[in-house]
Amino acid sequence: MKGGLLLKGEVLLKKVGVLLDKGGVLAKGVVLVVGLYLFLKFILPLFTAPLPANLIFLYLTLAVAGIVIFATISGESTEEFFGPIVRFLSGEGQTGPMKITRLLVLVLFPLLVGWQTYASAVPSDMPPAESRTIHPAPPGEFVGLSNPIPNTPENVMMGKGLFAAFCSPCHGANFDGKGPAARGFDPPPANFVDPGTIAQLQESYLYWRIKKGGVGLPVEGMPWKSAMPRWELELPDEWVWKIIMGEYDGAHQKPRTWE
Amino acid sequence: MMSNRRHIRYLALLAGVVLAAGLLEAEVGLAQESVAVRADLVKGALPAEDPTAAAWNTAPRSEFPLSPQVHWPTRIGEVTVKSVTVRALHDGRHLAILLEYADPSKDPHDAAALEFMVGDKKAHFAHGQPMAQVEGGPVNIWYWKNVSAKVLDMNAQGFGTLKVQAQQDVKGKGVYQDGTWKVVFARALSTGDVEHDVQIKPGEFINVAFAIWDGKKLDSGDLKEKGSEKAVSSWWYFRAEPPPDYSGYLYAALAIGLAVGFQFVVVRKLKKGRSA
Repeated sequence: MKGGLLLKGEVLLKKVGVLLDKGGVLAKGVVLVVGLYLFLKFILPLFTAPLPANLIFLYLTLAVAGIVIFATISGESTEEFFGPIVRFLSGEGQTGPMKITRLLVLVLFPLLVGWQTYASAVPSDMPPAESRTIHPAPPGEFVGLSNPIPNTPENVMMGKGLFAAFCSPCHGANFDGKGPAARGFDPPPANFVDPGTIAQLQESYLYWRIKKGGVGLPVEGMPWKSAMPRWELELPDEWVWKIIMGEYDGAHQKPRTWE
Repeated sequence: MMSNRRHIRYLALLAGVVLAAGLLEAEVGLAQESVAVRADLVKGALPAEDPTAAAWNTAPRSEFPLSPQVHWPTRIGEVTVKSVTVRALHDGRHLAILLEYADPSKDPHDAAALEFMVGDKKAHFAHGQPMAQVEGGPVNIWYWKNVSAKVLDMNAQGFGTLKVQAQQDVKGKGVYQDGTWKVVFARALSTGDVEHDVQIKPGEFINVAFAIWDGKKLDSGDLKEKGSEKAVSSWWYFRAEPPPDYSGYLYAALAIGLAVGFQFVVVRKLKKGRSA
């Protein structure tokens, strides 16, 4: 059974090989470009982040340029490469599906050009794109401060209690940013369980964000959109440090350190 | 005969693929979140004084969730109104915006407001609160209250700085029907006063935020929501749609003409080359 399958695969590969040999340089080029596209688009993202469309386009352009250079190295291979294209476009002696395909290409190409032109000529209907820095750099005086409150079970417990009273309406009783008061705000309140938030930050950073609130952000953080209160107006520093402790403990995260 | 039929089948298959690709593209283009209020351009009278006018049914509808105001210390943990539906229309000179929201009781102190940034500076959505590292601008607030049956045109730049303008430009009206408030706000798109009033240019995206107060009287005699104890949204977008622009079609037609000409020349050259 297994052997049969292997055999079938081998036969298939051989058939493809024969076809490629018959098709010559052009068919190989087309197969290479299509294969490269499929690889970049579908296979590579299995191992890394998906590639942006313009990068894929760049790679394909390079591949096409390489293939054309390779194919035009000798007069013979040039004819082999461009011959089928010329025969196809000139339409001589064509019948049946080939004839229809040629007509379709000749009709679709101008339409595609028209469509692309229209799409780039029409002004965007979408709101302007905003790139907001979620964790911008803190002011100098908030760098490298360490939590002066001893990390005892009582202090952590008290921090969690303060979190429940002041922070959980937006940041959620489960520290996930899904509190009952969160829904109207854009950007949404931070989700501390997400490994991309407080786990990436030092306690000193949280101290800044809690004390100065949304209006304390630099311009790249878009302070005009943030609902975060300026807690320095309402809470003593000691409470802020305890809240930070409670936050890390409740979200099962550890502050980032440089050791 | 047989081969002809095969051609037709082949052609149909190709056409199907092209059509499917086109539909897929259109589908992707249409998928859009409710992040902006869009005021459609209409001919004829705006329903500026009538929150129940049939014309509103044709206006694009968007919906925004609301939260209790939390930024300022005087706050409450829960609010009555959880979301607001917004529709807007303009005629090139004037603008009308309709807010609709569910409120179980009609009370004299029920109120609703729209907020915009004034000028080029960014303003914090909470009444243009001062920002530590960014120089902010003022906000223009259009405030409707049931008991006064009118809209106040106001400015603020930080809590406690709310001021009614000397020149009142905004009209409005609220109607309570079946547990729903429908409140319309109307103003000219642009006013002469660029220092105090938001200026709305068709085609341009600007920021808008919403606030709703449930003015229900509690047993204690206090109002359920008042002042900074209110339902709010942060900034969203607003755009008065520009008049239709057909120049894109002209450019497309030109491009198609060029492409056809190019093709014609290339194919002719190829044919000549082969027969030579």
